[in-house]
Amino acid sequence: MPRMIFITLPVSDIARSRGFYESLGFTINEKFSNESSACVVVSDTIFFMLATYDGFRAFSPKPLVLPSEGATSLIALSCDSRAEVDSLTEAAIAAGGKSLHDAEDLGFMYSRAFEDPDGNGFGPLWMDPAAQ
Amino acid sequence: MPQMIFVNLPIADVKRSRRFYESVGYTINEAFSDDTGACVVVSDTIYLMILEHAKFQGFLTGPMGDPSKATAAIMALSQDSRAQVDAFAAAALANGGSEPKAATDMGFMYNRTICDPDGNTFEPFWMDPAAVTG
Repeated sequence: MPRMIFITLPVSDIARSRGFYESLGFTINEKFSNESSACVVVSDTIFFMLATYDGFRAFSPKPLVLPSEGATSLIALSCDSRAEVDSLTEAAIAAGGKSLHDAEDLGFMYSRAFEDPDGNGFGPLWMDPAAQ
Repeated sequence: MPQMIFVNLPIADVKRSRRFYESVGYTINEAFSDDTGACVVVSDTIYLMILEHAKFQGFLTGPMGDPSKATAAIMALSQDSRAQVDAFAAAALANGGSEPKAATDMGFMYNRTICDPDGNTFEPFWMDPAAVTG
């Protein structure tokens, strides 16, 4: 099987976050979701496991730090085009997310940055396939 | 192109972390690595960008956390077998990693909890393919 990654992220309100991530175009795998968690399907190898703070604490070997108070990861996601970077970011802003800074355009790479309603940070990016 | 993810993580010493991630079986993409960061290739869609603190902070607009003390994300990485989960853990523990809690065995799923030398938390896991698709 191809390698998969599931990143557990803390959220304060599962229902709100489900709506947020669905608005970005991702789907929810109900089989791995319940009232305190939701499995966001980004692709067939990439998943976000949204967990309530209590759920996160029960699962984590370490105390929870809210991403707004001390980020320990920043998730960059590839997009197929500059337009897709923009549309993903605009969808996030419209759904309760926040843009973090202006677009960065290096020519061969174009990226933006936003956070979800709980402050989890994302950087959608497009890279010229030739540059890879 | 298939969607790719690059998980940026804070580390103190890129040389130490390169050794750690290579020891658990991953390779480094040198084209996206330098003296203060490295691109760890988990698969053709999954990458870890291990970045020394100043570089990681440069990508943030808020404060940086210390993953050795508290975490805001846990990364579960699939493995092809229980034996591979154990091999990942053994290699990690022999190369500066730590295991803050016991393995979880639910029959159809087996995972261990492993921290890198900086405390970034991973869960190498195996899941019965039948439980995923069934």
